[in-house]
Amino acid sequence: MKKLLTALIGASLLSTPAFAQSAWTGGDDQPTNPLACTGESPAPEPGEYNGGTPTNAPDRNGKDLKVVDIPKLVGVGYFASTASGMQEAAKELGNITVNTDGPTRANIDEQITFVDNYITSGVDGILFAANDPVAIAPVLKKALDAGINVVGYDADAEADARQWFVNQALPNGVAKSMMDQLASEIGEEGSFAIVTSTFTTPNQARWISEMQAYTEKCHPNLKFLETVEAQEDNILSFNQAQTLINKYGDDLKGILGMTSVATPAAAEAVQQNGLCGKVSVVGLALPNAMKPYINSDCIQSTILWNTVDLGYAAVEVMRQVADGTLKPGDKTVKAGRLGELPIVNQSQVLLGQPKVFTKADINDFDF
Amino acid sequence: MSRRITHALGSLGQEILLVVVILALFAFVGTYNPRFLSENNLTSIFVGNAYIAVAAIGMSLVIISGNIDVSIGALIGVLAVISGLLVTNGYPIWLAWLAPLVLGAAINALVGCLIAYARVPSIIATLAMLSILSGGLITFTGGQWISGLPAGYQLAQFRLLNVPSPVWFMIGMTVLAGFLMRYTTFGRAVYAVGSNPEAARASGISYKATVVKVFAIHGAIGGIAAVLFATQLQVIQSTVPVGLELVIITASVVGGVSILGGVGTVFGSTLAAILFAAIGSSLIFLNVSAYWLRAVQGILILATVLADMARRRRTG
Repeated sequence: MKKLLTALIGASLLSTPAFAQSAWTGGDDQPTNPLACTGESPAPEPGEYNGGTPTNAPDRNGKDLKVVDIPKLVGVGYFASTASGMQEAAKELGNITVNTDGPTRANIDEQITFVDNYITSGVDGILFAANDPVAIAPVLKKALDAGINVVGYDADAEADARQWFVNQALPNGVAKSMMDQLASEIGEEGSFAIVTSTFTTPNQARWISEMQAYTEKCHPNLKFLETVEAQEDNILSFNQAQTLINKYGDDLKGILGMTSVATPAAAEAVQQNGLCGKVSVVGLALPNAMKPYINSDCIQSTILWNTVDLGYAAVEVMRQVADGTLKPGDKTVKAGRLGELPIVNQSQVLLGQPKVFTKADINDFDF
Repeated sequence: MSRRITHALGSLGQEILLVVVILALFAFVGTYNPRFLSENNLTSIFVGNAYIAVAAIGMSLVIISGNIDVSIGALIGVLAVISGLLVTNGYPIWLAWLAPLVLGAAINALVGCLIAYARVPSIIATLAMLSILSGGLITFTGGQWISGLPAGYQLAQFRLLNVPSPVWFMIGMTVLAGFLMRYTTFGRAVYAVGSNPEAARASGISYKATVVKVFAIHGAIGGIAAVLFATQLQVIQSTVPVGLELVIITASVVGGVSILGGVGTVFGSTLAAILFAAIGSSLIFLNVSAYWLRAVQGILILATVLADMARRRRTG
């Protein structure tokens, strides 16, 4: 068995001659679209509108609107913060009331029942974050058929089952935020490794490809070491980050966490090794999971979208859809204090760049 | 009697083989990259799978008794969440450490009763348990992580003589269970019901009581594994790690515990768990995709089971 094992490892070594430097492991092979290194990037063409249209919607222009918000689930910090952004927008606008109601667990069947009940009870608009893009589509179409305005946020449904979707982040935006933050923490010439879920997870693979494209364009001297997989398992993520630290020693300046599981686990590995300030962890994670490390000054930041702004934008979009001021073919939409937001992907409103949470503001968020 | 001695020798062979494989792997990867043998990395390897090694001890008892438990991963997930909820809701830390042991023993004693008294095959009883526990967990927690754990709760981060506590638990539990299995009437009863339940019954060993005890002990050990699992980081993930039960069963089997029951020791499963951690680390040091870890584990199972079959044929 010993021979078998050594033969096996030997063979696999030969068959994978040191990873090609050209492509970062764990990325996909779709075309990339890196943003500008500094300043505004030109907004991409939104393309032809592919959202749905309510049937015989009454004229709601300027009238008081009764809107229900049905998130994936209620009672969790994440959707409590989107709901607070919605109330902020509703208060500013003055002519829209938003009521957040939904299942207490992320269950698509229960969510469908909620949508159905609100169609029956009669509302002007439905905001949703779908538990399942396909399964929720029929009931949303039913709402459109009943003349109700339907706008999604956070988690989309099939495009023709709603009018607009407020998209919290595009892959090239995530990539820019991650790499700019990494370069600002470890310097332009530092070496870093990536902890991802698996090499084939679609979102992570997309982000890694965009990160490589953006790095080659804007931070060409950052040195990519390798990508390791850690599923969505936090003990495994911790062990993998630990092994990277052991393997590269002082050469490792940064770890990029591609999942909300990997990022806090990598931070934990850095802290337990007494490497706070020596190895940076930059990644996507929920603020609550990162507070212990950021409040103790071990880690500087965590990246995610601003959930309050996401809820705020969803209500602004709802108001303008109902007023008829946001129409198919538009290229931007005005969203109160957020200014002009671009229309992307045919029928989506882009919230903007992800937010970098630091010690200065992370404690204002509870999710 | 002579058969048991042959078997004991047979499984001792498996343990020596595992030690040789581990040392060979260390030598091979250490030559390729000396950092592999640094104190830090060796510590990571021993700590990394310690909770799996601990859980595999209980699993070895279950398999030696002629049964199987596919619900252990879910049980660990549930017990870890219970521990975390207790401590974040203001209960004392010692209770949060102790409750998983007691609850684990109680839950699995129930499963043991289903198997021993209601005659439900263990694979069915534990499959049902797997669904109940993992379904219940996700319904109850909604996937929310438990954070805000108080200082002093992280048992798995404690060190004694500069050795992390999970390593002490792994060694301590292995020695304790090894002693139990080798030198007590209970241990002999477990081997007896596993190798031949009829003969065990004829010689006055209670099959039912033994199976219930085995499952209760397995549940308590699972509780210890759950506490190590829960206290390693600052947050507790409220979903069960996918495939954890399979890794634990694999460690037992590769450690030389015969899947047909009656044969094996707890030392082998601990060595196998260390070997898996070492392989996982090696793959990163050798720049080999982590996908190989599962393939290698699969090959190890096959090799071990084939060797076990061959040994059985030889000894008849």
